[in-house]
Amino acid sequence: MKVAVLTKEVPDLEAQVRVAAGGASLDIEKQRVLNFFDEIAVEAALQLKESAEAEAYAVTAGAGTGIDALRRALAMGIPGAFHVDDPELADANPLTVARALAAFLEKEGFDLIIAGKQATDDEAGLIGPMVAEILGIPCVVGITGLEASGSSVTVTRLTDAGTEKYEVPLPALVTAEKGLFEPRVPAVTGVMKAMRAKIDKYSLADLGVEAAPPFKVLGYQPPAKRAAVKMITGEPAEVAAELVQLLRDEAKAL
Amino acid sequence: MSILVIAEAAGAGFRPSTFELLSHARALGEPASVILVGDDAANKEQLDGLAAKVVTVAGANLSPYSADSWVDVLAQAIQAEGADVVLFSEGQRTRDLLPRIAARLGLSAVTAGMGLTKDGGSYVVHRPAQGGKAYMDLVVEGGSALIAFRPNSFATDAAPVDGTAYEEKTIDAAANRTPVVEQVAEEGKKIDVTEAAVVICGGRGMKSEENLALLEELADILGGAWGVTRALVDAGWKGADHSIQVGKSGKTVSPGLYFACGISGATHHIMGMDTSKVVVAINTDPDALMFEYADYGITGDALQVIPEIVKEVRAVKG
Ligand SMILES: Cc1cc2nc3c(=O)[nH]c(=O)nc-3n(C[C@H](O)[C@H](O)[C@H](O)COP(=O)(O)OP(=O)(O)OC[C@H]3O[C@@H](n4cnc5c(N)ncnc54)[C@H](O)[C@@H]3O)c2cc1C
Ligand SMILES: Nc1ncnc2c1ncn2[C@@H]1O[C@H](COP(=O)(O)O)[C@@H](O)[C@H]1O
Repeated sequence: MKVAVLTKEVPDLEAQVRVAAGGASLDIEKQRVLNFFDEIAVEAALQLKESAEAEAYAVTAGAGTGIDALRRALAMGIPGAFHVDDPELADANPLTVARALAAFLEKEGFDLIIAGKQATDDEAGLIGPMVAEILGIPCVVGITGLEASGSSVTVTRLTDAGTEKYEVPLPALVTAEKGLFEPRVPAVTGVMKAMRAKIDKYSLADLGVEAAPPFKVLGYQPPAKRAAVKMITGEPAEVAAELVQLLRDEAKAL
Repeated sequence: MSILVIAEAAGAGFRPSTFELLSHARALGEPASVILVGDDAANKEQLDGLAAKVVTVAGANLSPYSADSWVDVLAQAIQAEGADVVLFSEGQRTRDLLPRIAARLGLSAVTAGMGLTKDGGSYVVHRPAQGGKAYMDLVVEGGSALIAFRPNSFATDAAPVDGTAYEEKTIDAAANRTPVVEQVAEEGKKIDVTEAAVVICGGRGMKSEENLALLEELADILGGAWGVTRALVDAGWKGADHSIQVGKSGKTVSPGLYFACGISGATHHIMGMDTSKVVVAINTDPDALMFEYADYGITGDALQVIPEIVKEVRAVKG
């Protein structure tokens, strides 16, 4: 089985973000990491590598970015990595990113593609299922269980009504939800190997992909500031009475 | 300009967010057309006066729900109907369907929408950027785009329209390629935290899993849902399922009223609730970070204060 993991490089969850240029842009602290859900996807690929002798690769698309994410995947134990690198991928329409990744995946040929449920920066949850659709393969979103069985995989996901298990014929794409696996921490030897690894690059032109028009951003705003908190003090019964009165009469929330 | 809404059934009616989308379209002066697929059409008369037109689609492979078949039928129905923007409610089904329909039809897609306005000939979507550390306004120009909105983004009180047209269609959908091999229904799953108008959330300050019943009691009496922090999910407390975890690696909620009970206010938690309209924090530590994200703060023991609030609400509601 040949497995590809879609890995996105995103700002660290702790990175400072500031609205800059009077709302025209964002100033984002430059600490970049492998997306939270993609680490889980990498772990899933490693589990298949170890239990089902799968070949595993990581692929990322970015405009000069993404190498750190790939190196993290390599350090965790993924043997090979590919970089779709093109200036047109900066703030690209998700369709462009999905088409680029799909074109690469089609060219290389994979049995199972694992993406993250969503990226922690744009929180879109678009790229995985878009890639599946472009490739014309089945897709299960947000899985919490994965077992390989020959020409198919059995996956589990939590639904609004409980739990469902699906049999998914390969080739297919799944997206990883928290709980699927606990990602391992790379060993020092892994980190060193990752630094030396050779990473092949492709441009959009190499893949025959034309960029879709990006969205225009009218502006950015910082989160709305809440008014200073109103502290309510007293014995439990007193504070409860005052709170309920404030919620009803002042906040009109009851 | 035209708006198409993909409605979603729930229980004996529709998801509250379906009514939000329809109301917002009327508020924009563009009463929507609605597409209802398969069994979702059962209660279509509830949309009377809320939409300009209701299109119900019947056909092969639509019941039970499967992503493959529904992508196929919705792609066909959306294309036949045509619209400048196609609005979905965020949720599991939308996460399955919207990206795939967009890719199939070559349409732009935006998720996590929180607001929709018009700017000349374009629509503008308000959504978070960088995981909610900022917000942005995206222009959706010309052609059509598929946009998913978070529940509780819009009011539901726009004036109704005179007369709703009904249309019935038959579209046979592609077969499902990923059969369900096992299904475990969970008893008594109630209001979804992302959908609830009131969310009562508890953290480590709730002390033990037995005390989570207090959250449920307050949620029940306020007609809301209860949730937990990741700390409780990781600790494996009974009832503290990942499906009700609020925060960065769980659900994003934006209810009208949010209670943070025994929650420290870690960034990863705040990211999942900061768009709530009114926030109440109860914490024994007067310096808890959570108070910075609250409108009303109570320094005290959640285990003592919550039962008093329940009593008080009961008294007020009679
Ligand atoms: C990548 C990543 C993703 C994460 N995603 C999430 C997420 O989605 N959601 C999430 O919640 N967290 C998430 N976290 C974890 C987050 O950083 C915090 O660890 C977590 O939110 C803390 O939970 P807590 O507030 O329940 O516990 P604590 O931080 O331990 O806080 C407990 C609070 O309860 C107060 N307290 C104690 N006793 C009482 C009492 N009797 N009455 C009232 N108050 C009392 C204390 O003063 C304290 O403020 C994530 C972390 C990482 C690294
Ligand atoms: N530029 C990218 N390169 C590689 N994979 C990506 C990229 N963008 C998104 N993905 C994958 O798609 C998932 C969902 O991303 P998003 O649609 O941005 O929320 C991520 O978790 C990744 O697995």
